[in-house]
Amino acid sequence: MTGSRFLALLAAVYGLLIVAEPARAHPHVWVTMQSELVYAPDGTITGIRHAWSFDDMFSAFATQGYESKVKGEFTREELQPLAQVNVESLKEYDYFTYVKIDGKKVKLKEPAPGYYLEWKDAVLILHFTLPFEQPVKTREMVVDVYDPSIFVDFSFAKQNPAKLVDAPAGCKADVALPREMTFAEGKALSQVPADQPNVAMAIGAEFANKILVHCP
Amino acid sequence: MSWFARRSAFTQSLLIVVIVLAIAGLIDAASAAPFGASASGAPSPVDGFTGWILMKQAEFYRMLSGAIRAAKADGTAAFGLMGISFAYGVFHAAGPGHGKAVISSYLVANNETWKRGIALSFISAVLQAVTAVAIVAVAAVLLGATSKVMGDTVRIIEIVSYGMIVLIGLRLVWVKGRAFLRALAPPQGPQLAHAHAHGGSHAHGHHDHGHHHDHHHHAHVHSEACSHGHHHGHAHDHDHDEGHAWGHAHAPEPSELTGKHWLRRGLAAVVAVGLRPCSGAIIVLVFALAQGIFWIGIASTFVMGIGTAITVSAIAMLAVAARGLAGKIAASKAGGGILLLRGVETAAALAIVAFGALLLTGYMVSERMIGV
Repeated sequence: MTGSRFLALLAAVYGLLIVAEPARAHPHVWVTMQSELVYAPDGTITGIRHAWSFDDMFSAFATQGYESKVKGEFTREELQPLAQVNVESLKEYDYFTYVKIDGKKVKLKEPAPGYYLEWKDAVLILHFTLPFEQPVKTREMVVDVYDPSIFVDFSFAKQNPAKLVDAPAGCKADVALPREMTFAEGKALSQVPADQPNVAMAIGAEFANKILVHCP
Repeated sequence: MSWFARRSAFTQSLLIVVIVLAIAGLIDAASAAPFGASASGAPSPVDGFTGWILMKQAEFYRMLSGAIRAAKADGTAAFGLMGISFAYGVFHAAGPGHGKAVISSYLVANNETWKRGIALSFISAVLQAVTAVAIVAVAAVLLGATSKVMGDTVRIIEIVSYGMIVLIGLRLVWVKGRAFLRALAPPQGPQLAHAHAHGGSHAHGHHDHGHHHDHHHHAHVHSEACSHGHHHGHAHDHDHDEGHAWGHAHAPEPSELTGKHWLRRGLAAVVAVGLRPCSGAIIVLVFALAQGIFWIGIASTFVMGIGTAITVSAIAMLAVAARGLAGKIAASKAGGGILLLRGVETAAALAIVAFGALLLTGYMVSERMIGV
């Protein structure tokens, strides 16, 4: 074996290690979301109202150490300290919510008071509203909800994923589902044999959750 | 053998160091992207092999919750849970935070055997499971602490763990780097050896400050390796003793590597890596606890650890094989190719420092602990 071949091998091994190491963590938290865009009477959008349902494992983890009168059930009041922890730590992650109009970022304020956690069917649901810094009148808007580090996996609820509240007539919200593929991508994926992993294509994150707002 | 062979041994070694560091540098780009991207708006795609592994891990992780619920209703379902835990461990270790890179670099730098590589990988994986169980048992079961308290605890442990990785790397850089420099310019006379020895005492003091553990562990190696104490008189230490005491700074013969002190020497690295529990295990444990079947959660955590150990070992084996190959090539070269070997070892040691520093500064995120 020559020195250069050895060098290539060594580089390959290290490459493997290093490629594997910063591989991002897989999700540890799953959120099913329902989101609403809230309009003011003057037709401006004032903010986003989120309702995020967490998965059962994370819900059990998050409520660890919180006391409740009924075992395994929590009231809104009992969960209020946890809701505060959640909302405060979400700030660091920009609430995973990115709003854009014409490619320009819309600034969001901290969640309005009145946020709360609900315990329903053994899972937590976090209700909170993100007001826009400036209410904005627009015909088109895009809201992305995702975690760049994929620690939290967001997906829309099957029912009522996105809604416009008090919107002017004719406005509607469409949802671009995650992992929704173009025809070409779908075709390419279908050509990967069923018994083989898909190693050729991007999976997941680039197909973020989008709410698309259109007004006539 | 083309252009590469025509270079001098020094250039070759330097090239290896540069290449390894350049690859290590890629981590920057790779890991910085998601965070940089958070500002620009579009998440970077997760593709190929990594994407597939990510998907598999997530799949098995999702199955855990159902399996734990099933085990609660019917004890025999616990077997299924163990199978899923094992599979999750195998895939999960391929993700970040299980010290594959640190352990592998450590094995390369210290020229450890594959058996020791496997042993160290298993110890670190089991230690990770132990830490996870200990945190949940003490914080949640005994103290009734909240998930936030557990998260904060893990963050402190993380900092200690990453700090240890940096220190272990620095020590190795010191040892291997000096050996590398010595191979570059062999000592001409006793004066030079004396100067080297002084450098040694300096680093010694430095380590003593930040890293008591490692130091103690060293003291052991010292007393074992040298019959006359290194710390007593540097002046009459000759090169051989010094190299020996500092973990085989000169070309180690296979016979020198036998004996128990490889374990003590490796323990610091293994503890640094294994100290940090994986967040998945903690969530599973708390979930099992909430279901009233904590012991099943503990069993699942250890089975996960075994799965993790297998993946980490496999990757570590690659590193050991590459190092073995380097040894063979070096042996075929004039002068035993010492320079080449020392270069590889120094590069591996530098890589450990790089990993530790990136983790410590949060530039390379290992695995986030519950931020929501």
